[in-house]
Amino acid sequence: MDKAISFEQVTHTYQANTPYAQNALADVSLVIPNNSFTAIIGHTGSGKSTLVQHINALLKPTKGSVQVLGRVITPATTNKNLKAFRQHVGMVFQFPEKQLFEETVIKDIMFGPKNYGVSDADAQQAAKSAMKLVGLDQSLAEKSPFDLSGGQMRRVAIAGVLAMKPEILILDEPTAGLDPRGHKEIMDLAQQLHDEDQMTIILVTHQMDDVVNYASQVVVMDEGKIVKTGTAAEIFTDPGWVYKMQLNLPSSAEFAQKLVDAGVPVGKLPLTIDQLATKISQLVAEGADTDE
Amino acid sequence: MSNFLFGRYLPGNSWVHQMSPQSKLMLSFYFVIVIFFANNLASYAALAVLIAIVILLSGVSILFFLKGIRPLVWLIIFTVALQILFSAGGTVLWKWGPFSVTNLSLINGGFIFIRFLLIIMISTVLTLTTTPLAIADGVQTVLKPLKKVKFPVDTLALMLSIALRFVPTLMDEMETILNAQRSRGVDFGSGSLKHRVQAAVPLLVPLFTGAINHAENLSTAMEARGFSDSEHRSKYRIYRWQLKDTVSWLVFLLVGGLVLYLRK
Repeated sequence: MDKAISFEQVTHTYQANTPYAQNALADVSLVIPNNSFTAIIGHTGSGKSTLVQHINALLKPTKGSVQVLGRVITPATTNKNLKAFRQHVGMVFQFPEKQLFEETVIKDIMFGPKNYGVSDADAQQAAKSAMKLVGLDQSLAEKSPFDLSGGQMRRVAIAGVLAMKPEILILDEPTAGLDPRGHKEIMDLAQQLHDEDQMTIILVTHQMDDVVNYASQVVVMDEGKIVKTGTAAEIFTDPGWVYKMQLNLPSSAEFAQKLVDAGVPVGKLPLTIDQLATKISQLVAEGADTDE
Repeated sequence: MSNFLFGRYLPGNSWVHQMSPQSKLMLSFYFVIVIFFANNLASYAALAVLIAIVILLSGVSILFFLKGIRPLVWLIIFTVALQILFSAGGTVLWKWGPFSVTNLSLINGGFIFIRFLLIIMISTVLTLTTTPLAIADGVQTVLKPLKKVKFPVDTLALMLSIALRFVPTLMDEMETILNAQRSRGVDFGSGSLKHRVQAAVPLLVPLFTGAINHAENLSTAMEARGFSDSEHRSKYRIYRWQLKDTVSWLVFLLVGGLVLYLRK
C-alpha cells in the first residue's frame, strides 16, 4: 500500500516566539496509508485538530515536514501555492454547518469545486451527485440553506466538501450533536466513500464505538504526542491504559468488562455488538453462569 | 497578525497588573492629555522615559512590546506623511504640485509621530495588563457619577463586558470559518481588490449568523436565570484603590508638572 500522508518529526508551536507560545504537537511521526480508514482519538486538547489541520496545509509545521499525496510542506513553504495542497484533501470541520453562506443549497455545494476552477456545468453535476451521496433530496437544491434543519445543514456542508471529489477526506467529529439515525447515516457514508470511492478517510472522534466499527487503523494522541498506533483490537486490550488516556472503552467492551467484574470469565474483551453477542451466546451454551 | 499586541491581555502579576482598573483607565486618559501639552524635545523625552518605566514595570519584555506595536507604526507613518506633505508654513524645502515639505512641517510631523507612538504605548500597556472584564468594571466605576443624571451606567457596563466577552469567541469562530473556506479553495488576502471583497462574503455571512445565534442564546440563558436590569448588582471581584495606585498617580502628576515646566 502506498502512503497518502506522512508526518516526519513534526512539531507545531502556536504563536512561536511570543509569551503566548504553546506547544500543540511535539515530534510527531506518522504514516497514513492510501485508502485506509484512520481514527484519531485522544482527550480534548491532545492535539488531534492541530494534527489534521497540517494535512490540509491550514497549519505549517514549526519543525519537521509533512508529505501529502507526494507534496511536501515544511516550515519554509510559502503561503502562495497552498491551494494546490488543499484541492485533493477535503476537510469537514466540527459543526460544518457554520460554514454555509450561499443563497441556495446548490450554490453552496458548488462553491468548492468552482474555487478550484471547475466549470459551472461540471460543478452543478458534482453538486447534484454529492447531494445524492449525503441523502439530500434534489427538491432542496433551490432552498436557502438557513431554512433547513440542523441535520440537513450538516449534510449540505458535507456535500460541499464531497463535491470537490477529494482523495483524502478528514472528518472532525462529524456526528457531534446529531440524532442516532443521522449519526449512523453519516458514518455509513464515510464507510461507503472508503469502500466504493477508494477515499482515504481520517476520522477524529470521541465515539469509541465508531472507532471499532469503522476504522482500520487507530492513532491515540496525548499532550501533542502520538502514544499508540494500531488496530482497534490492539488499542483496547488494556482497559486501564485506555482510562488513563481519558478515553472510554467501546460500549460492548464496557459491558463485557462489567461481566468480568461480576466474575464471569469473558476472556478477551469483545469490541463490537456482534462479538459481544457471540461471546454471550457461547457463555450461555457452556452454562458458565455463576449463579449456582 | 499573531504578533499583534494592541487590545490583547497578557496574564501576569506585575506592579501595573496589580493596580486597580479604574485608576489605570484614568491614568491613561491623564497621560494622553499631558502628551498634548508637550511641545519640545525635552518634554517628550520626559514622557518617553516615563512610558519606558511603565513598560518595564508591566513585566513585558520591551523587545516583544515594540514588535507587537510595529504593525500600527505603518498607520502612524501614513498619517504623518500626509501631515508633512499638506501642512504649510516655514521654509519650503521641496515642492511638487500640491505637495510641499517645509522645515516646520517636518518638525511637526516628527512630534505627531512621537505623540501617536506614546498614545499607542500607554493604551497597549493598559490592555496588556488589564483583563477586558476589569476594564469594563473600571469604566463602570469611572462613570458612576453619571448615575445622578439617570444615565444607565450599569447597563452600559454590562453591554461593554458582554461585547468584550465575545471578542475571543468570535475570533475563534472566524478562525474556524476562515479555515473551512480555505479548505474549500478560497484564497484570502491575494488577488485583485474585487476578488478580495468577494472572498469576504463566505467569511462574513457565517460570522454574522453565528453572532446573532450567540446573542439569542445568551438572552435566553440570561432570562432563564432571572436576569433583570433593574436589580442592584453585586460584584464577584472588587477592585480597591491601593498604595500602588497612589504612588503611580504621584509619579505621573510629577511628570505632568515637569512637562509643563519644560514646554516652550
